[in-house]
Amino acid sequence: MIEIRNVSKSYNKGKVKAVDGLDLTVKAGEIFGFLGPNGAGKTTTIKMIVGLLKPDSGTIAVNGLDTGRDSLKCKSITTYVPDYPAVYERLSGLEYLNFIGDAYGVPKSERLERIDQWLEIFELKQAVTNPIQSYSHGMKQKIVLTAAILPAPEVMVLDEPMVGLDPRAAHHLKEFMREHCDRGKTLFFSTHIMEVAEKLCDRIGIINKGKLIACGTMEDLKKIDREAGPSLENIFLELTDT
Amino acid sequence: MSRLVSLLRAGLRSNFGLSVALHRIFVEKKDRWYIPLFGLAAIGILPTLYGYALLIKSLYGFLQPIGQERVLLTYGILLGQFLVLLFGFYYVISAFYFSRDLEMLIPLPFRPVEVMLSKFAVILVNEYLTMIPLVLPVLITYGILSKARSSYWAGAIAVYALLPVIPLAIVSILVVGMMRLVNLTRKKDVMIVIGSVVMIVAVMALQFTIGRSAGRGMGVEAVAGFFFSPNSLLSRIGAGFPPSVWATRAVADAGTASGWTSLCVFAAVSLLLFWGILITADKLFYRGLIGIGEVSGRKRTLSRKEMSHRVSSGRRPIRAIFEREWRIMNRTPIFLLNGVLTAVILPLIFVVMSKMDSGRGDPAAMLRFLTSSTSVYVILGAAVFMVVCGCLNGTASSAFSREGGQFWMSKVIPVTPREQVLAKFAHSYLIALLGFAAAATVLVLVLHLGAPVCLVAVLLALTAGIALTAAGMIIDLARPLLDWINPMKAIKQNLNVLIAFFADMGILAVVWGITTLLVKAGVGGASLIAAVFAVLAVISALCFRFLLIFADKRYRDIEV
Repeated sequence: MIEIRNVSKSYNKGKVKAVDGLDLTVKAGEIFGFLGPNGAGKTTTIKMIVGLLKPDSGTIAVNGLDTGRDSLKCKSITTYVPDYPAVYERLSGLEYLNFIGDAYGVPKSERLERIDQWLEIFELKQAVTNPIQSYSHGMKQKIVLTAAILPAPEVMVLDEPMVGLDPRAAHHLKEFMREHCDRGKTLFFSTHIMEVAEKLCDRIGIINKGKLIACGTMEDLKKIDREAGPSLENIFLELTDT
Repeated sequence: MSRLVSLLRAGLRSNFGLSVALHRIFVEKKDRWYIPLFGLAAIGILPTLYGYALLIKSLYGFLQPIGQERVLLTYGILLGQFLVLLFGFYYVISAFYFSRDLEMLIPLPFRPVEVMLSKFAVILVNEYLTMIPLVLPVLITYGILSKARSSYWAGAIAVYALLPVIPLAIVSILVVGMMRLVNLTRKKDVMIVIGSVVMIVAVMALQFTIGRSAGRGMGVEAVAGFFFSPNSLLSRIGAGFPPSVWATRAVADAGTASGWTSLCVFAAVSLLLFWGILITADKLFYRGLIGIGEVSGRKRTLSRKEMSHRVSSGRRPIRAIFEREWRIMNRTPIFLLNGVLTAVILPLIFVVMSKMDSGRGDPAAMLRFLTSSTSVYVILGAAVFMVVCGCLNGTASSAFSREGGQFWMSKVIPVTPREQVLAKFAHSYLIALLGFAAAATVLVLVLHLGAPVCLVAVLLALTAGIALTAAGMIIDLARPLLDWINPMKAIKQNLNVLIAFFADMGILAVVWGITTLLVKAGVGGASLIAAVFAVLAVISALCFRFLLIFADKRYRDIEV
């Protein structure tokens, strides 16, 4: 569960408001899709949830733990995938996964099972002993996703996770996201792919210019703007048209 | 032409980040403390420059009566060109082959020579800045003392502008050739490191050969010859590296036929070598560059048993982070060259110096002098030598900056800042230990320092190493440089490394001051060593403690 209470974040000494008084709750067992135009505040919000940025005001809690006060406990139950897979290029894929496993204290048996399973799914088994430097963009994205799945976290925060993935890998990831939340865990992700959000998410939030302008199930969103049409794309375009 | 100018401007702007710096200081109102910091640094360096100018003045007073004062200019010019040669090597290999913006530049419709020139311009500006504290005082002091006319100052400006071109062109051509060969091999990173070490040693050998050729045969007849033949010493030095003589005459004889001729020769050779760069660039630059980042991976699926063997059974986070630091440092050629290899090579340079030149005034001779004094000073001198070799390589003061854009992982993993900092400290300290070991080996085997004396010196160096490593890390943690596009920015061109150097010097100066006071108070022998050890232990404990406390705060505050 993620609870965001009246969170604001600005840059340039307050001149640019990236996130403005955001209030949002993502329930346990829920896939929450976070949409918005470029520069709307999606990545800033995500970075505040995982502790990469400090909110100027407001609080964020993960499973009831304050991300500021109980940051270490929050980190131990949360994993994050950034919008660009900047990983240790000089390590091999397996060395990177081992590093993440050690940092999160994943027992060897679980580690072995999950690494084996996800390397198979992402077709990375032949490349896992090679330096990440030799990977393509999509392979780097897959290794970062495997690392995020490895600790079996309670909460996953993913910033545009489908970017760079081939259709098969994207399909497997979507299946995993559903299973993850069916086990009562939480998943918060941003995307620009409307079809994915529409089909996969239990609830969707739309942010524009730092403010949450819509939030709810697909049915709720359709009620907000009945003239926009039935698709999420139309609703999104209508709501973010300024 | 305008296309090239635009590329040059973009390269200079992105590298020196002037617009970004001005934006951060005046618009975002961040980093404003840079202004007083630079002011303080300028004030701090003034006494050193003043001392340097006084030294030049006294040498001028010594050389002028025998008509050899121009040698000062030659030495200044040689020093500048040697610096360009040494630093240029690091700059060239990093800017030409490891800048991340190259991936963006290669697909653009620029010729290889244009891309290389944009990088060359950046290095040239860096070299002008590097030469300022060493070459400008010589040119200015000489001009004032010789009551030079305006033609001298015009000549000095022209020579300063041309000064880095010859050594930088030589280095560029050598590096481009080396990288072309490296790109043919499979183990590219290993070959880059080996090639780099060979070239650094070659540069050192060249410097010492020039120095030795100047000092060879300094018998009574040669010294007497100076009185009757003005500039004979100049010609002797110039025999090793003629451009230094042309540059000297271009400045000292500016406005005369000799001055014009020398300037023309100096400029012509510079242009010729610059033309050599253009030829090399079009023929070899892209052939060495494209594919240099490629890593040939074997395609082999691990069996279940192999996978089980390779999957770690759970190391403590500190060990995992330490191993990460160790692997990344050793597998990144630029980091390896500047960190580990510098720590090990520095004592070797002293060996080379002591073997190639038994003359006066060189650091090895100073060390020999120091180590022939009483045992207390031998121990202190040896300890300082070890600390210089082990701690001043920039490993600690770039410990956080080296992570660059990957620092997000350190922020999100559930490992306390203290544990992360401890692992990084252990890594930086291990590099320092390698430097101490190399220095101790030189002291024992080359300078024949007794083992008991060496052991006490090692103990002092180990203690001082804690303080200096912690101080370097504190400085880098205070302002980590995480948005670099060129790995050289993280370590060699990182201002934190320079600030840490001054901080380290400050710590050593404090210890030196206390030692002097103790000596004046009549403390000596074992008591003095014990007192120095106690002072170092207290400073180390304070620095280390502060580092851990500071880590908790800074890891929270650093935003990525």
